[in-house]
Amino acid sequence: MSARSRGTELDLSWISKIQVNHPAVLRRAEQIQARRTVKKEWQAAWLLKAVTFIDLTTLSGDDTSSNIQRLCYKAKYPIREDLLKALNMHDKGITTAAVCVYPARVCDAVQALKAAGCSIPVASVATGFPAGQTHLKTRLEEIRLAVEDGATEIDVVINRSLVLTGQWEGSDFIKTSTGKETVNATFPVAIVMLRAIRDFFWKTGNKIGFKPAGGIRSAKDSLAWLSLVKEELGDEWLKPELFRIGASTLLSDIERQIYHHVTGRYAAYHDLPMS
Amino acid sequence: MRTGVIGLILPPTFSFLEMMWRICPALAVGCTVVALVPPASPTPLLLAQLAGELGSFPGILNVISGPASLGPILASQPAIQKVAFCGALEEGRVLRRSLAGECVELGLALGMESLLLLTDTADVDSAVEGVVDAAWSDRGPGGLRLLIQESVWDEFMRRLQERMQRLRSGPGLDGAVDMGTRGAAACDLAQRFVHEAQSQGAQVFQAGDVPPKRPFYPPTLVSNLPPASPCAQAEVPWPVVVASPFRTAKEALAMANGTPRGGSASVWSERLGQALELGYGLRMGTVWINAHGLRDPSVPTGGCKESGCSWHGGPDGLYEYLRPSGTPTRVSCLSKNMNYDTFGLAVPPTLPAGPEIGPSPAPPYGLFVGGRFQAPGARSSRPIQDASGNLHGYVAEGGAKDIRGAVEAAHQAAPGWAGQSPGARAGLLWALAAALERRKSTLASRLERQGVELKAAEAEVELSARRLRAWGAQAQAQGHTLQVSGLRGPVLRLREPLGVLAVVCPDEWPLLAFVSLLAPALACGNTVVMVPSAACPLLALEVCQDMATLFPAGLANVVTGDQDHLTRCLALHQDVQALWYFGSAQ
Repeated sequence: MSARSRGTELDLSWISKIQVNHPAVLRRAEQIQARRTVKKEWQAAWLLKAVTFIDLTTLSGDDTSSNIQRLCYKAKYPIREDLLKALNMHDKGITTAAVCVYPARVCDAVQALKAAGCSIPVASVATGFPAGQTHLKTRLEEIRLAVEDGATEIDVVINRSLVLTGQWEGSDFIKTSTGKETVNATFPVAIVMLRAIRDFFWKTGNKIGFKPAGGIRSAKDSLAWLSLVKEELGDEWLKPELFRIGASTLLSDIERQIYHHVTGRYAAYHDLPMS
Repeated sequence: MRTGVIGLILPPTFSFLEMMWRICPALAVGCTVVALVPPASPTPLLLAQLAGELGSFPGILNVISGPASLGPILASQPAIQKVAFCGALEEGRVLRRSLAGECVELGLALGMESLLLLTDTADVDSAVEGVVDAAWSDRGPGGLRLLIQESVWDEFMRRLQERMQRLRSGPGLDGAVDMGTRGAAACDLAQRFVHEAQSQGAQVFQAGDVPPKRPFYPPTLVSNLPPASPCAQAEVPWPVVVASPFRTAKEALAMANGTPRGGSASVWSERLGQALELGYGLRMGTVWINAHGLRDPSVPTGGCKESGCSWHGGPDGLYEYLRPSGTPTRVSCLSKNMNYDTFGLAVPPTLPAGPEIGPSPAPPYGLFVGGRFQAPGARSSRPIQDASGNLHGYVAEGGAKDIRGAVEAAHQAAPGWAGQSPGARAGLLWALAAALERRKSTLASRLERQGVELKAAEAEVELSARRLRAWGAQAQAQGHTLQVSGLRGPVLRLREPLGVLAVVCPDEWPLLAFVSLLAPALACGNTVVMVPSAACPLLALEVCQDMATLFPAGLANVVTGDQDHLTRCLALHQDVQALWYFGSAQ
């Protein structure tokens, strides 16, 4: 990650002055999805860019070292080699931004990535994921252990009871939700978050990253997310250091779209390697 | 009952949607349409071709492609019953003048500028999006004026300018652009405006990714334009946005209502009370709250003041193309030697009455202005003769100054009267009806002197009282309505009183006409300036004696005098909201 944000003093008056015009935000969200459609080779380029923002994630109860290994390999080679060759992008080092796993699997992930010869960071969810209702002591210990095992990024679940009583913490990235809720990353919420990031940058000069997670499954959606960030924050935020998409099945949908662009045909599920 | 043949005149920069919004209600009600469109746009012709292929009814939609000068010619065709005009102010005026006396209905929708009022309790980012949508997308019809509260001025400007830099302009069919072009004429207009604004000291900010070729003009933001400069009064062309700061909500309302344009506006504030207060206070046809430019075919859209007086959309839009059954078709009643400059200018001298026969008449009546009888400015009176040629009485000779005083008094009384509840208004009208009944004998005897039979006179008085009561009951009936439409949010349709109405009464039925014209205007919350019947204004003045005690001052004002002269004064007075004229062909 690039230079860490230095943070500022908590100033609650900033928060109380915020107004959100809900219907207008909803309208803007609809607009973003409808207007900025990208086609043909530009779409392929945007999709490849979207791949570089993905935090390839597996957070299921039956994760073992074998599927972690498969995930890490897929993170290193997200798109099939011949497709990339056809687009002349095989030597640009296209990988996903990170691999995101449970703390217990960080070791396996680090080993698998080393075996694949890949330097992408391992992110771990921690602090009592997904609900965050554990003791502070165990939460801190989780983070420490995950970092010891080799994770370089931590997705922290904040203690919502503190939030609801107005006691805030700081961070380098803000994430829409754990991805395990009923409603996860929606455009109206994202619009408000991105505007807050922009505000913060204008007030303090610190750039905070943004990560939508949960419910992003189609390539078309990912393009909408990219154009949303581009419109609201600008090209500076379209870098893996400041923007991530937390997803797992998104990658296969993107791969299928690229397959279609290269060959003109729709691929079956078995045509492309599993992640 | 449907109106018949509608002539539709469209401006050079109309959008297809606007055209459809005018054609469809007309066709739906059963009228046929002849549309005049500028030659640069082929789509209406295509539409007409499609309409012609409908088979059983060829000719329901006809399109003529021609220059704007054909407008008056189209309008003066004898078969056209109504002309709907949308476009620029000057052309509208010319059209109206040319149609005077032709007994053709004219619906005007002039000017395409709108207003955006941003308070400090608004979501500034969303408001910026609103500005972009209103001013620089292809949905907005014209330029935009912004009124921004001073405390959020810097923040807003910064965000707007950043947003402008991300706009892209290009050919309309390219999916990646935000705004297209409206043609070379619009481009020139915008350029002229910007140059003038700069020469008057404004700051101009232009941004966005725009091709440098001529019909493309970049999105432009003009600020620091001195409010007294001519540019600040002129209409803002597309794609220019003019921004001005304000300090308090009261100042915002004054600035917003201080332009002659009354088309549409939006108020941005997250505080409900403030938003509604500003919304009610704006004198505009359509006010959006926390949004801009939302349109729905079932919601009526129109304007007030200089923006014209026609509505489209919703039931009001349908009524535009209907008229009450029994109205005569078009009859030209223009007298051929009408000279606007000399009409009513000089007051013909009144001959002094012959030697007074009979009982000495009462002292001359004054003008009833501001709740009491006042002497006229010219300090002269005119004699009124009764049916047998004898002197009936003297009334004052009113002039331009008196009209001015009467209108001022009416304006002073207007806010109070409009604010009265319908029940209070009904009560006053009923009280006047009761007073008329009490005066029945006096009024009947005066009518008799004018040559009306006693029975008929009494009947007239009774009918007048009845009408007053009927209108009083009506006052309760009209009100605001809430409409549910496809838009997200409720639509409130307010029926507001116009303001000051001027009424020139006919000669026949001196009492009945006076009362019948007075009552509806008052029932709906307007104040009036009336010019009673020239032959016998005494009856009206009798009623005034009652009004002096019953009505608040300035509610109804009566000015007597030479009818032509007074009509001229009223017509030329720019602060009279409407004029009802019953009189000579001229």
